[in-house]
Amino acid sequence: MKPIFAPLFLFRLSLVNNRQPINKLKIMIKSHTYLLFVLIGILSLSSCKDDDKDMKAEVVVPATYSFERDGVSSVSFEGQTTRIQMGKELIDAMIDFNVSEEILLEMYSNETANGGGDANPFSDAALNESTKSIRSKVAASADLFSSNTVDAASIKQDFATWISAQVTEVFPNENELAAAGQAGQIADGTSTRYVNAKGLEYNQAVNKGLIGGLMTDQALNNYLGTAVLDAGENRADNDAGTLADGKTYTNMEHKWDEAYGYLYGTSVDAANPNATIGNDDSFLNKYIGRVEGDSDFAGIADEIYDAFKLGRAAIVARNYTVRDEQAAIIREKISTVIAVRAVYYLQQGKNALANGNTGGAFHDLSEGFGFVYSLQFTRQNNSGAAYFTKAEVDGFISQLTNGNGFWDLDAATLDSISEAIADKFSFTVAQAGS
Amino acid sequence: MKKQIFLFFLLTAFACSCGDDEGPSEQVDNFDRQAMLTNWADNIIVPAFSAFAEKTTALKDAGNTFATSPSNANYEDLVTKWETAYLGFQEVSMFEIGKAEELRMTNNLNIYPTNVAELTNNVMNGGVNLELPSQIDRQGFPALDYLLFGIADNQTAILEFYQNDGNANQFLDYLNILTDRIDNLAQAVLSDWENGYRDSFINNSGNSATASVDKLTNDFIFYYEKHLRAGKIGIPAGVFSGDALSDKVEGFYKKNLSKALFNRSLDAVENFFNGAFYNNTSTEGESFKEYLEYLKVTKNEVSLATVINDEFQTARTTAQELSDNFADQVEIDNVKMLATYDQLQINVVNIKVDMLQAFNINIDYIDADGD
Repeated sequence: MKPIFAPLFLFRLSLVNNRQPINKLKIMIKSHTYLLFVLIGILSLSSCKDDDKDMKAEVVVPATYSFERDGVSSVSFEGQTTRIQMGKELIDAMIDFNVSEEILLEMYSNETANGGGDANPFSDAALNESTKSIRSKVAASADLFSSNTVDAASIKQDFATWISAQVTEVFPNENELAAAGQAGQIADGTSTRYVNAKGLEYNQAVNKGLIGGLMTDQALNNYLGTAVLDAGENRADNDAGTLADGKTYTNMEHKWDEAYGYLYGTSVDAANPNATIGNDDSFLNKYIGRVEGDSDFAGIADEIYDAFKLGRAAIVARNYTVRDEQAAIIREKISTVIAVRAVYYLQQGKNALANGNTGGAFHDLSEGFGFVYSLQFTRQNNSGAAYFTKAEVDGFISQLTNGNGFWDLDAATLDSISEAIADKFSFTVAQAGS
Repeated sequence: MKKQIFLFFLLTAFACSCGDDEGPSEQVDNFDRQAMLTNWADNIIVPAFSAFAEKTTALKDAGNTFATSPSNANYEDLVTKWETAYLGFQEVSMFEIGKAEELRMTNNLNIYPTNVAELTNNVMNGGVNLELPSQIDRQGFPALDYLLFGIADNQTAILEFYQNDGNANQFLDYLNILTDRIDNLAQAVLSDWENGYRDSFINNSGNSATASVDKLTNDFIFYYEKHLRAGKIGIPAGVFSGDALSDKVEGFYKKNLSKALFNRSLDAVENFFNGAFYNNTSTEGESFKEYLEYLKVTKNEVSLATVINDEFQTARTTAQELSDNFADQVEIDNVKMLATYDQLQINVVNIKVDMLQAFNINIDYIDADGD
């Protein structure tokens, strides 16, 4: 403020100190005015850096997903790491015949049956101490479920139902041979699979279903969406560099990181996750790696990672256009991963059935079941909806589990579901199926 | 000259007219596949199963005898019959088709290492259903390996156990169950071949993933890759894991049988490749070698069949450097195991890629990705 008034003051001084005739005064006013305008111009330019909302700042992308503030990392996604670890214990425990239904459900909800917070079902003490849970974040995204608590409750319950059914239907038949209408074990090469009366492995339904209902839904439909990224004062705070209370990051930075955490939360080196992509968990990370390994889709791992990195850098640069462009890329790519794996397993299952390899087929189809279920959590960029509605997915699931389920499935059904999925994407059944 | 070049080009094009590996498997040449199936069935597979079934019956009888009277003499006889049958198994394991496929023959007869804890549970609890998939690592030749050589430190202690231990009868009962079951499986497979399957095998001479040639070729390659290359050499040598795993060798408890089992298996693979008659290996009928020569398939300007046979020989020579006891070999000088693995691996490419492409057959199994 003060510098602007200085030239006016000087002007005034010159007037006071130099009582000139009017002519000379006019010349003086003109020359001083000119000087004044020049000075104001210079000062206006120099004060620009405090007000660049209209300028697109250049986004500087680091080599790895490393972001710091004052020499300290501003990246954080502990809650996501915790839930991936909980998920791993849960799916492993689901095929441990010594575990009780109560413990399995506690692993899912991290609560005791009466809603108490003193559940300690995990073998990892840190998980038992955590207040996080898988269940609370299943079908819980702002974009898809904030005004659809009916579907959210139904979906959360699906997982609980599968978990309980594993104990009540499959565990008692541990030493029975599976058959149509009979739960039990079935050989898949040298592996033994435990299936329900329809040939479905509940542990695979939970495993692959969580990839959609937890990781994909939270990343695509919650943390990458503007409802969450720009919630409350997030944008203003990010613009001003106002950090979350006691943290090294802005809220917006953190939300973006939480999406990142659902993919790379247990990576060996989370800043450089593609060095070990596919090997770092049993959930979304694993299947990004698998799809990357299919030559028809090679490059997808980098596309996802680069978009995350660029989007995070855009947040730092306060460039929200670039940020949202990256969110759109991530949505498309991860939705593709889910859809590709759904088609892959349905086709592999179809081939195994044709070869008479029932156990191998049912294992493939169980994984396919989980990925098909996950289709309702994908995200289209043009409509704000998933690629498939819950009703459409329920329809696919019905076809897969009709009558004696997998025991009754034929190639035509598996092909028609595969085609229906591939039709909404830019890949073919052949490309995804092998 | 031009005519020969043209002919060569035509045949090469024919041989390589394989198409992409995602297209349907189709025979694109005029080789008599049914003649090959006939040679396989009549001169190799059925004689091999017939010989094997005789050995398993002898094993079963010796098992019964020992279980009734666990004397030193009966023990030694049982050991001999077990070895003979185990070596004989190496000659049939690759024919996992028809009844053998239905009964999951190889997985029920030769999953190693045996699961000692669960085996002991089976013994103590009794009444287990060995047909369950979950039971494959508690039966078969490897389980007998443990019962005969692993249950105590030396022959004297072993005999002392079976004669005087409080639980001896339960162990002997289980041993008897195992030898009975091995014979039952062998007889079931042989009987199926001799009572109808031989004809349906030969008549299924079409061109599809479920045709006999396609299926048996896949079985052959799967056996070579997974059982011979990986199971006997690669896994113990630590090729697929961070560390070498000396306790994962075949014949771990017998200690000095691993190499003999390996050699018999390699011989069986090579003989089948060349169509050598089971009962007279110097006579060769139609098989992969003749098929490749018919198609004039070459690799680096050498006949592919010759390349493959030469490589079998190199692998055999390299394996000669190994101790009879692969567990010791792994511990003392694993490099020799790795060298053997490398030679076996070379033929995986020749067989799984070059040979299959020439025949226009698709692989019908996927390497499990740990799901």
